[in-house]
Amino acid sequence: MQTIPKTSTALGSLLRADLVTQWRNRRSFILLLLVPVIILISWKGIVEKFGGPFALSTCITIGLVAIGLMGYSNSVARDRDKGIFQRLRVAPMPTWCIMVSRLLIQLIMIFLLTTVIFIAGKDIDHITLSPSGYIISFLTAIVGGAVYLGLGQLIVGLIQNPETVNSTSRLTYFLFIMVGMFGELGVLGDQIKQIVLWSPYGTVKRIIAAGMQPGSWSQETTTALLVTIAYAVVFSLIGIRKFKWNNK
Amino acid sequence: MNTDNYILQVHGLNIFYGNFHAVRNVSFEVLPGEIFGLLGPNGAGKTSTLSAVEGLLKPQSGSIVVAGNDVNKKPLYAKATIGVQLQATSFQSELTVSEILQLYAGIYGVAMSPGKLTAILKNIKLDEAAGKKFGQLSGGQQQRLSLAIAVLHEPRLVLLDEPTSGLDPQSRRQLWERMESMREKGHSVLLTTHSMEEAEAVCDRIAIIDHGRLIAIDKPQSLVDSNRSNPEVIAASRRGKVTLEDVFIGLTGKAIRS
Repeated sequence: MQTIPKTSTALGSLLRADLVTQWRNRRSFILLLLVPVIILISWKGIVEKFGGPFALSTCITIGLVAIGLMGYSNSVARDRDKGIFQRLRVAPMPTWCIMVSRLLIQLIMIFLLTTVIFIAGKDIDHITLSPSGYIISFLTAIVGGAVYLGLGQLIVGLIQNPETVNSTSRLTYFLFIMVGMFGELGVLGDQIKQIVLWSPYGTVKRIIAAGMQPGSWSQETTTALLVTIAYAVVFSLIGIRKFKWNNK
Repeated sequence: MNTDNYILQVHGLNIFYGNFHAVRNVSFEVLPGEIFGLLGPNGAGKTSTLSAVEGLLKPQSGSIVVAGNDVNKKPLYAKATIGVQLQATSFQSELTVSEILQLYAGIYGVAMSPGKLTAILKNIKLDEAAGKKFGQLSGGQQQRLSLAIAVLHEPRLVLLDEPTSGLDPQSRRQLWERMESMREKGHSVLLTTHSMEEAEAVCDRIAIIDHGRLIAIDKPQSLVDSNRSNPEVIAASRRGKVTLEDVFIGLTGKAIRS
């Protein structure tokens, strides 16, 4: 009787290889981190005017958008184009291992991003949270990260060409930052402000900000959390259903 | 012959892409220790057939059994029995040769001691390139690594999709020797190729596939002998002497495929 390798061993090997790949591409991750950190450093007035949680949640949300749209979708599109997934799919392991390994790496990235923002916020702007605020913020960052990973999956599900994935994700990232940040501040008008509040940008930012001050969690935040989860589920489901493992 | 002795049995295989019928009722078997070649013009259905055996695409009908394991019913068991070299070499370009070997050893459940790793690297003449990233290897080095990974877990059946395309004559000869060495060790090989020279040099039997249909299956010399008097084969013959290429052109036509 033929035996098949243990799934845990295969997943462990994949995870190790994906970690090494991510480490060798660390420059691109550092670049993704730069934008939110620069915003945090340069927008001192925002901290004074709207408070620390507002600034931190804005920066974490922008970082999450970058991880999901620029990091995840581009790496999946590139590896699909090279045929790396096809080579892995002919191996005796469940196909879900390939994506679980990728998602675990993104989870680590989300954790690193949130930690870096918290450290930068404490060192530069002297923003500190309660222990429960830190813990809940990490959890809400993971939920928020799922929305953008789902959006990244949607992009690679709908678009095959890696160059088009790259340009689409960059454009979406830019739109999220510009419309999200300025729309939320009311610069683009009240109507846009309302749309932004219930957009994937607004709901993610709100749950992260509320997570930083657990006492401020309201009924509206719970609704925002449910909408966030709904976004993540819808984007992921469509992205997974439309996803093709190869470009041919 | 006892059908349990076949390492691969493909029966009544049909594959559609939308309305396009790519593989039409294809059936063949591969014996243990046999090098079996699948020949055909571009778009004939070779890679689709191979992809179905690899479990990369699900056929609309037909059965594929690898060493007693149905590819659709017991895919992981079937995959554990086969080693694969895909048409395009495809590993993470950021990983080194050693890291790629260790990754696939883990995936296939092969214990990889430092001594074993060194032996594999020496065997494929990549010991000095062990620390090189995959993206820095030459085409021939990439092919050797890809083949080493295909046989890492001592599979009973090795699938090679156009393994020598783009290789220089030295690398091609070396690959043929490796295929023959696999046969000596009892592995079966199913390869697709456009090279009649390759088919004649290494294949024990070949099947010609065209427009998704299997149109001939036999030993290379037997195919030449049985088609010597075929008028289309004679018309395709360029030097008076009928070759396997003449048989191929005679049976599949002179028209260029996409």
